[in-house]
Amino acid sequence: MTQTCPIGGGKGGSGKSFITSNLGVLLAKQGKRVVLVDLDLGGSNLHTFLSLKNPKLGLHDFLIKDYKTLDEVAIPTSIPNLSLISSTNCSHEIGNLFHSQKLKIIRAINKLSYDYVLLDLGAGTIFNILDFFLISNKGLFIITPEPTSIENTFQFIKAVYLRKIKQVLKQKAFNSFVKKLQAKTKNTLIRSPMELVEIVQKQDPKKGKLLQTELEKLQFRFIMNQFRKETDVTMGNKIEKLCNKHFFAKFQFLGNIRYDERVHDSIYSRNIYMNRYPYSITAVDLQNVAGKITETHEDPALKTVKSS
Amino acid sequence: MKKYEELNHYEALEIPPGASPFEVSQAYKDALSIYNEDSLITYSFFDDDERDLILKKIEKAFLTLIDPIKRTTYDRKLVRSGEADESILTKKERKKPISLFQTKYPRNKGIYLKKIRKKIAAKDMKKLSNEIFSSDVISGTDLKNLRESVGIDLQEVFEVTRVNIPTLKSIEENEFDKLPPTIYLKNFLKSYSDIFQLDSTTIIDGYIKSMTIYS
Repeated sequence: MTQTCPIGGGKGGSGKSFITSNLGVLLAKQGKRVVLVDLDLGGSNLHTFLSLKNPKLGLHDFLIKDYKTLDEVAIPTSIPNLSLISSTNCSHEIGNLFHSQKLKIIRAINKLSYDYVLLDLGAGTIFNILDFFLISNKGLFIITPEPTSIENTFQFIKAVYLRKIKQVLKQKAFNSFVKKLQAKTKNTLIRSPMELVEIVQKQDPKKGKLLQTELEKLQFRFIMNQFRKETDVTMGNKIEKLCNKHFFAKFQFLGNIRYDERVHDSIYSRNIYMNRYPYSITAVDLQNVAGKITETHEDPALKTVKSS
Repeated sequence: MKKYEELNHYEALEIPPGASPFEVSQAYKDALSIYNEDSLITYSFFDDDERDLILKKIEKAFLTLIDPIKRTTYDRKLVRSGEADESILTKKERKKPISLFQTKYPRNKGIYLKKIRKKIAAKDMKKLSNEIFSSDVISGTDLKNLRESVGIDLQEVFEVTRVNIPTLKSIEENEFDKLPPTIYLKNFLKSYSDIFQLDSTTIIDGYIKSMTIYS
């Protein structure tokens, strides 16, 4: 059973590619078959995190030449079980993906048969990114404990949420509900996607019910990256609580990943962080998160019960 | 999932209906740390109107639940509308803090004491006490015989006197080298004789005499 995990987050520089590459390494080391897909189109650099230089094969070949599956353009990395589908050799205009190309990529990703497919997404909330993020119900987003990141994260979540609503309702119904909402609030903007859900539930209970069940299927997970010791330790849990209270989707906080200067060093020297510093606190944090993703993560209390 | 505006005061603060005033104020602080204007957690999540509404709701919930009179009225309203169980109206007996220096005997002392009194009442204590007081030297064996003839076991003696069983045994078996210092021994013997309602000074004197003779 393939688990596809898009890794996104509104803000650039929050560590999406770093976490994607290192989670990939950790999952592969657990013996899982993992493929990383660099979907930060126009800003792809995932191969650098994996100390690969100029991949010969990649997404470009899949889009232009007649490869049948994405699998054929995956290249092996220095880690066994871990492959990469790079997009660095794509054209400079790849950032503005054609709709048909987007659908082709999404269809191909859904056909990949690995244990884990990790999608490294770019920053921002353009439709390409939102649609890639919604490939799976189990999207993962990265937050850093800064107002700018929190702000972008909420924008991102709301954008994803709204995109999902649009997908469920289909274009025509969506537009009519948006118009109704605008007439009611006398506001040309939708302040929050929850308002739209309310309107739908009130006006068309049947559609409202469908919308709710579809939205409840979403299980977002998030990681607090670049966590420093001055940060409130309960922050992640509080965000989890807040989001669970105000959205139908489920949110799960996977853990803090502590800030480490050496992350910069490893990128600078183009080494894989997990290989270079496997015993640092940050590496342990990453391992915990990987454990939670594979759900083999057991807390110490459970372990003692099992062993006794 | 309920809409935020429809949550009752307890749900808004995320506490069970029976929460104590301390829990209420703690929950209020927690809620403010999430929803307050300067909180990083909800930064840009709500616009000003939404945040105002939520903060007003939290404020109202807190002010209602922290005031005992307002809270009772509110609880009644909840029960009437069927939102809460009737049990929240009756105040639960709260556990009081345990004092650091507990001087009271454990509760089961009374039970054992009653049992022992019953056994003693069934026997002719006068005859038994005369027997023990017939000599002015009283050994551990005498005490043991007395105890066994009344039918009390060491566990019961321990429960009442809180003198541990090995020490009681040493007293009864005349193992003088295992006995505690005299000052403690005297007190132990006093508690021991108090159980049988015997004159403690005579017993202590008699036992000390036997110690000097036998050792």
